[in-house]
Amino acid sequence: MAVAEARAAPAAPSLPVAPRRGAWSAFARHLLRDPYALAGISIYVVFLVVGLTAEWLAPYDPMEILFTPEGGLAASLPPGSDHWLGTTNLGRDIFSQLVMGTRPSLIVGLSAAVAVASIGTVVGLLAGYFGGWADQLLMRLTDIVLGLPFLPFVIVVTALLGPDLHNIVLAVAIMLWPNAARVIRSQVLTLSQRQFVEAARVTGAGEWRILFVHVAPSVLPFSALYGAFAVGWAILTQASIAFLGFGDSSAISWGTMLQDAYASQALDRGQFFWFMPAGLCIVLVVLAGFLVSRGYEDLLFPKLRDDK
Amino acid sequence: MTELLAVRDLAVAYANGTVHAVDGANLTLRRGGMLGLVGESGCGKTTLARALMGVLPGGARITRGEARLDGTDLVALAPAERRARLWRDLAFVPQTAMSALDPVYRLRDQMREVLCDRGGLSRAEADMRAAELFEAVGLHPRRLADYPHQFSGGMRQRAAIALALALRPKLVIADEPVTALDVIVQRQVLDTFRSLSAELGLSAIIVTHDISVVAYLCDQVAVMYAGRVVEHGPTDAVLEQPSHPYTMGLMNAFPDLESDEAVLAPIEGSPPPLSDPPPGCRFAPRCPFAEAICTREVPPPVTLAPDHWSACHRAPEAAALRQRARDPLTWRDVAEAAA
Amino acid sequence: MSTTLEQPLVAAYGLTKHYPVGRSLRQALRGERPVLRAVDGVDLALRPGESVGLVGESGSGKTTIGRLLLKLTEPSAGQVAFEGEDLGRLSRSATLRFRQRAQLVFQNPFDALNPRFSIGRTLTEPLSNTGVPKVEHADRVAESLRHVHLGDPARVLERMPHQLSGGQLQRVVLARALVLRPRFLVADEPVSMLDVSVRAGILNLLRELRDTLGLTTLAISHDLTLVRYVCERTLVMYLGKVVEDGPTAQIIAKPAHPYTRALIRAVPRPYVDQPRDALPLHGALGDAASLATGCRLRNRCPHAFDRCAAETPPLAEIAPGHRVACHLHTT
Repeated sequence: MAVAEARAAPAAPSLPVAPRRGAWSAFARHLLRDPYALAGISIYVVFLVVGLTAEWLAPYDPMEILFTPEGGLAASLPPGSDHWLGTTNLGRDIFSQLVMGTRPSLIVGLSAAVAVASIGTVVGLLAGYFGGWADQLLMRLTDIVLGLPFLPFVIVVTALLGPDLHNIVLAVAIMLWPNAARVIRSQVLTLSQRQFVEAARVTGAGEWRILFVHVAPSVLPFSALYGAFAVGWAILTQASIAFLGFGDSSAISWGTMLQDAYASQALDRGQFFWFMPAGLCIVLVVLAGFLVSRGYEDLLFPKLRDDK
Repeated sequence: MTELLAVRDLAVAYANGTVHAVDGANLTLRRGGMLGLVGESGCGKTTLARALMGVLPGGARITRGEARLDGTDLVALAPAERRARLWRDLAFVPQTAMSALDPVYRLRDQMREVLCDRGGLSRAEADMRAAELFEAVGLHPRRLADYPHQFSGGMRQRAAIALALALRPKLVIADEPVTALDVIVQRQVLDTFRSLSAELGLSAIIVTHDISVVAYLCDQVAVMYAGRVVEHGPTDAVLEQPSHPYTMGLMNAFPDLESDEAVLAPIEGSPPPLSDPPPGCRFAPRCPFAEAICTREVPPPVTLAPDHWSACHRAPEAAALRQRARDPLTWRDVAEAAA
Repeated sequence: MSTTLEQPLVAAYGLTKHYPVGRSLRQALRGERPVLRAVDGVDLALRPGESVGLVGESGSGKTTIGRLLLKLTEPSAGQVAFEGEDLGRLSRSATLRFRQRAQLVFQNPFDALNPRFSIGRTLTEPLSNTGVPKVEHADRVAESLRHVHLGDPARVLERMPHQLSGGQLQRVVLARALVLRPRFLVADEPVSMLDVSVRAGILNLLRELRDTLGLTTLAISHDLTLVRYVCERTLVMYLGKVVEDGPTAQIIAKPAHPYTRALIRAVPRPYVDQPRDALPLHGALGDAASLATGCRLRNRCPHAFDRCAAETPPLAEIAPGHRVACHLHTT
């Protein structure tokens, strides 16, 4: 047979290891070149570093009631060299609270992001790729969830299960996965029409292999995008819950700080140093999520493969 | 004066001006003529057409040259003035008619928009004219009441042509008007153009990659390669006596329905990157007849017959080169030399 | 020329594929389920080593036939046999063996390769999918690259698809099909997305592979000139049915079916002096969902008579190896 004869020719080269990371590193480079995305990522990095080193950064225990050298309660002190952002009306150091409050915010934000991205991706992939009754079932489920009011649902969940952070994450994940799932499903529907998917099938690839090796990598950027959205939403939700008084009042977070300041009438007394920093941090983290997703948009909507 | 359009040394640059999609293009079109603008993808034919229309995509601009339509240099006009001339002087038929037609309006309303708003006709006059136009392109005037999605692909293309003709433009530019269509429908659209040319004296530039479409429809042809027009002349002269090696190569690469077992010869290699084109003749790296001068100097147009020119240093020897170009081996040698 | 008695490599019997289409409220109330008859009772047989062209306009069902023959979609009725085996009853391992023997060349090389895979990975994937031992992979990949004349394998394998030109990509697509050493190759519009100067190279390659590897090929195209160049035999499809089948040269020189005649006349030629008279066919492509009986061309055919509406013309032989489905030829 001709096929066999043709093999006599020069020694075959060894197959190179396929550069799997190619697409992702190009993606990361692109993202870092976008000024908005870069700003967003920088904000995340700063908060991440603060959260990780909070113990060292915070000069005081955030719950400790402090006294002046004269022995009086160090209450409602304005910002100064001892207390950078002043103290609360109960004599607690606001800067320490702000630094320590980064942690629950980040924990809530990141775990919600992971949860939303993974649930949304898995559901979107299955519904989009296999279609049929699985698609019907999953998409009707998203319809139901999309019909639920966001904050009331979270309040009910935390009221029933307790105000722990992981319950807030759970509630946020339940509320936010459908958006990710829908977008990923529609991406999968488009990708399934691509000829390289048919090519994988005709060369003997199984359905699961096609789904995870050929289709899934192209939707991961969308998962990341919805994850980035979820960070902001989750932090905002946790703060709202805390502010409304449904949160865990024993744990320090930006939300409980706001609630504390509000309950203590810091607004009326013009103690901007008390509630402004926490409010600003929330705004920054939420903003970072949107900045990153803005950077993604430029990447996702023109076609990916033209980047050189 | 029978010359309707004269393009001289037109150049269009993208982005920061380093990439010239069109770099010194020359062409002429006589009144009532049909000019086929042929070339491969990326040769700049669509950019040239868009530059003439004044609808270049963002970031692209004309950097030099002129394009005189009836004596007026379009390049020198202010953008607002150019837009005012759209439909009236120049009209465009895109590759997919769907992008020329608005899906949410009936064809009659789209016709009225052009005829009344731009042409200043009354509604009744506009409807009469719309019916005439539909008849001219072979559509029943009754179909004016339909939405674009109710038309088949070929009918949609003809509706787009009717719309382009609404204000009796001096020149219609059609970008790959039949590429997306099946053969039979393609033939119907081509015949629409042909009858418009015969009956209304339509002047048109047909941008296409298909030499057969040009042969069927056009009396003039301009062959583009890497941003320049390399050969220009009457269709029969250019197709029967191609005088630029690129045109010869294209003719060789084209299968014909009845040619008996003739072996096709591809033009080896690929067009040069427009960001860094070779000096001299841009086809030289793929040309089996390239000589030292070809890689040094840009070949000027050589007139071979009235209206027929070729931008090739060896154009005077074209007859001999044609003989050699018919042999597929000639083209294979270039590939081997390159490898 | 092989004899007709030889067992066909690929054969289809009454092959039918219907797709459900949107129904009106009235149809829904009556419980009707309208279908698009993409492929409607097609019989065909490809002999080993034969090169066959499948010609038709978009909507004729030609691409669906290709997908049915490759078991990329299941027929609504009828069956496909490959080397005598019914494709509908293949076990999982038999399916993988079938995948090694029957391959597809895609229309759009810019879409047919996973943009995230290097060429090397693209060419290895079919081998690992079908269980070819790993030690053979490098040899097989190099062999397939040689078949498609893709320069220096060592350099090509590390490339990503966006670094190659359209012609090179189409060669990679061909190599991916050949790496499994198939016997049967379906090429669906293999050059329609390529530039004119590159087309000739791919067409020559298809011819060469057909001859040197003894492949049985089915070239699906709307372009008769392409089919003329690479196929000995041609099937013409109209709205889900084969209307003419015969040696390519004969079909082009003496088309017997009115549709084939129009199709051939409609092809523009690359020279100025060509016939430009009106096509012997009127109207536009009919609606495949609506015509259930009779000849499907009858509304457009200048020769149509009573019988054309009453009975569906069978595909009947009018000359050795030349069959036509038209009442003008049945007496």
